[in-house]
Amino acid sequence: MSQRRFIVEPRGLVSWKVRLGVPVASVLAAFVVAGIFLFLTGVNPIEVYAEMLDAAFGTPRGISETLISSTPLILTGVAAAIAFKMLVWNIGGEGQFILGAIVASGVAIWLGDGLPSFVMIVIVIVAGGLGGAMWAAIAAIPRVYLGTNEIITTLMLNFIALALMNFLIFGSSSPWRDPEASMFPQGRPIPENARIPEFFFRLTGGIFIAIALAVFAWYLIGKTRWGFAVRIVGDSSETARYAGIGVARKILTVFLLSGAYAGFAGGLFVAGPVGALDPRSLDLGLGFTGIIVAALAGLHLLAIIPVAILMGALNNAGPSLQAIGVPTATVTMLQGAILIFAVAGEFFINNRIRRPDIEPDQKSEVVPVLEEVEPS
Amino acid sequence: MTQTSPDTLAVELCGVDKSFYGVKANDDVDFKLAQGEVHALLGENGAGKSTLCSILAGLYRPDSGDVFFEGEEVTFKNPKEALAAGVGMVYQHFRLVSNLTVAENFALGHPDTGVRLNQKQIHKEAKELGEKYDLPIDPAARIWQLSVGEQQRVEILKLLYRNVKILILDEPTAVLTPQEGQALFKTMRQMAAEGRSVIFVSHKLDEVKQVSDRVTVLRNGQTVGGVATADADIKELARMMVGRDLVLPTRDTTEDFGEVMFSVKDIHVPGDRGLEAVNGMSFDIRTGEIIGIAGVSGNGQRELAQGLVGLRTPTAGTVVLDGVDVTKQTVLQHIKAKLGYVPQSRLGMGLAPGLTTEENLAIKAYRSPPFSKGRRLVNSAFRTEGDRVVEEYDIRGVRPGLPIRLLSGGNLQKALVAREIEMEPKVLILRSPTRGLDVGATEQVRNLILKEQARGVAILLISEDLDELLALSDRLLVIFEGEIVGEMPADEATAERLGLLMSGQAEEVSS
Repeated sequence: MSQRRFIVEPRGLVSWKVRLGVPVASVLAAFVVAGIFLFLTGVNPIEVYAEMLDAAFGTPRGISETLISSTPLILTGVAAAIAFKMLVWNIGGEGQFILGAIVASGVAIWLGDGLPSFVMIVIVIVAGGLGGAMWAAIAAIPRVYLGTNEIITTLMLNFIALALMNFLIFGSSSPWRDPEASMFPQGRPIPENARIPEFFFRLTGGIFIAIALAVFAWYLIGKTRWGFAVRIVGDSSETARYAGIGVARKILTVFLLSGAYAGFAGGLFVAGPVGALDPRSLDLGLGFTGIIVAALAGLHLLAIIPVAILMGALNNAGPSLQAIGVPTATVTMLQGAILIFAVAGEFFINNRIRRPDIEPDQKSEVVPVLEEVEPS
Repeated sequence: MTQTSPDTLAVELCGVDKSFYGVKANDDVDFKLAQGEVHALLGENGAGKSTLCSILAGLYRPDSGDVFFEGEEVTFKNPKEALAAGVGMVYQHFRLVSNLTVAENFALGHPDTGVRLNQKQIHKEAKELGEKYDLPIDPAARIWQLSVGEQQRVEILKLLYRNVKILILDEPTAVLTPQEGQALFKTMRQMAAEGRSVIFVSHKLDEVKQVSDRVTVLRNGQTVGGVATADADIKELARMMVGRDLVLPTRDTTEDFGEVMFSVKDIHVPGDRGLEAVNGMSFDIRTGEIIGIAGVSGNGQRELAQGLVGLRTPTAGTVVLDGVDVTKQTVLQHIKAKLGYVPQSRLGMGLAPGLTTEENLAIKAYRSPPFSKGRRLVNSAFRTEGDRVVEEYDIRGVRPGLPIRLLSGGNLQKALVAREIEMEPKVLILRSPTRGLDVGATEQVRNLILKEQARGVAILLISEDLDELLALSDRLLVIFEGEIVGEMPADEATAERLGLLMSGQAEEVSS
């Protein structure tokens, strides 16, 4: 008897319930597994999670800090997602973020106090975007015209960006370095009128700018003619060529846009809570975490917002754990577990498992494909 | 010749089920294969022939049902186990390593292949095997240097080298000229005479009638019946296969052509390796005329089509569309000049597999109203236009939000052709438009093409399917190694004559 116990088969139409339910279940599973590890190290996981929840959302100040941590993640998440949608593997969000911060703070210091605050803030954020886009261009142009591997180039550019920032603050007497900090080198504070005002404890309006930029990206890709062409290229560059779309230019533009979004994050962070080119506040792996955010959100540009808030909450809750004798690195472990479960969860979004004797629900599933893709 | 007593059964399948995406590809299929017979498996596309063969060859495992091999129940976990037991399959898409030589492909995965290759020995055996079965090959040639027909020979010999008892050939004649097909049939008979069993998958009735001992017909995943070929007549087989009597549409013979709409003069197009793949072709197409280009795959058809639509830039020659020189223009300019193109690869080029049907229907027209206003997309137009086209062209299986790749081959092709027709082309270039489609979909697509002809579109039909070419073309050209080697009106064309030209044999000058 060759009766099989289970059949794994691809789903046809994936309903929104599955699309939403699987990632939520993945996150919960990650917490359960991480909880087992915590338990084995001799702490009560429930106590740890309660502490984290309290730190992240328990007080108005906690909520404010959570949203501060989330702001750059929204933008680095969007940066990763728009590139990945096009099959452009820009993992240089970290470096583009740092360059955004460098250019934004540089412009702010150079312009000084003269301009009205509103104009100044806009200039600083745009400068951040330009910095990120420029850094992305170093990888994007050879990728598009020479076919270099952007994974390697963007990754290496991250290290160069970090070294550049450290050089500006620790290794030279650059305009970015605060001349008045005699003991330990630190970034020169940007002019007050370049800072986004705080309105809820330390939370600035930056959160709204980040959300608006994410919504704009979603609109651009989903609702415009340009975005439609981009989606065609992302799905099949051969088909795009066939439809008369300039594939190389589209890829280049999206790559630069991706860099710009990571750069916006850097600009917003400088103009927001940090206020200077401060390596200790900027070298937190926010560009890399953006990749996790994008993956967990299934590259959906609006889903990135809540996912970024979740990740921001985790980041924010980390330090509070030390108070109960649990290392901050617990948060890193949790984020790693979430990523693994999210990626594994993809399988259950695209496939389902059923018993062979139970007929599939024909209403929600459709049509076989029995034809192979042939080379043109 | 045919013995059906149970002890000589090579293979028996009982009540085999196999589903994909919740649809049954094989539904309670029974199949008996005797030793030493050529057994044809007949059915439309999607009838479950390939699935059945893949189960035998160990590529798929049945959801339920039993497989007996020489009287013993077996479950092949993978093709390797099946091959070790003596079951080998030549797939439609060959499984050869193109950078290796023929002999190296023989050795690949062979149980006797150790750390070191005895090249000399393999060369000798390969050559002898080729001579024995009248399938001459050069063991030292690299696969990429071989024609499709030669690659198929390598696939068959590779299995004979493994000394398989059961050979499964999945639509082997689809890539061959009629003459090459005949040679293959001779080899198949020879293998059967040695006591091997051959499963011959086809949907071409005359071939089945000619070469097989028995026929099993599949329809919608179920066995319709099995008969001795000698007792079956072609009409009856066709009815078993399709489930009804069938007449495929053919061209309107009362021709009424207009002005020259599309004129190609001495065009040269480069291939992928930089060499010229199209070597000076010239032809004119008038409005309302269908020109067919026949040829064995890989003789420059792809490059010709891409050169004519702007995907490749011709190095010399001119292409004039409705009085305008479009030779060096971009794809977009060709589209705007009202040139429609149905490429051979539906999901590889013609459609964006992950986008929905309504999005795919707008892939060319999205730049202007009603699909967009200025820079903004009009989503409601995607829906209304999509619904209208799906309804009008009878595209089935479409659901909102469903990626188009989940449609069946026939519906994909209807969507693709519909989109090109909706652009109201003046010139329409089609590559193998009914390839791989079942009879019902073939009928619909052919009707669409003939309707466009009646509307006065100049049509270029590039195909490897001679039946299709003969049924639709007003005039036929034969392409061989990038050149036109023959030209004739449809009335004077026969499959034999085209077949000879396609294989590169020049026609004797007839008076």
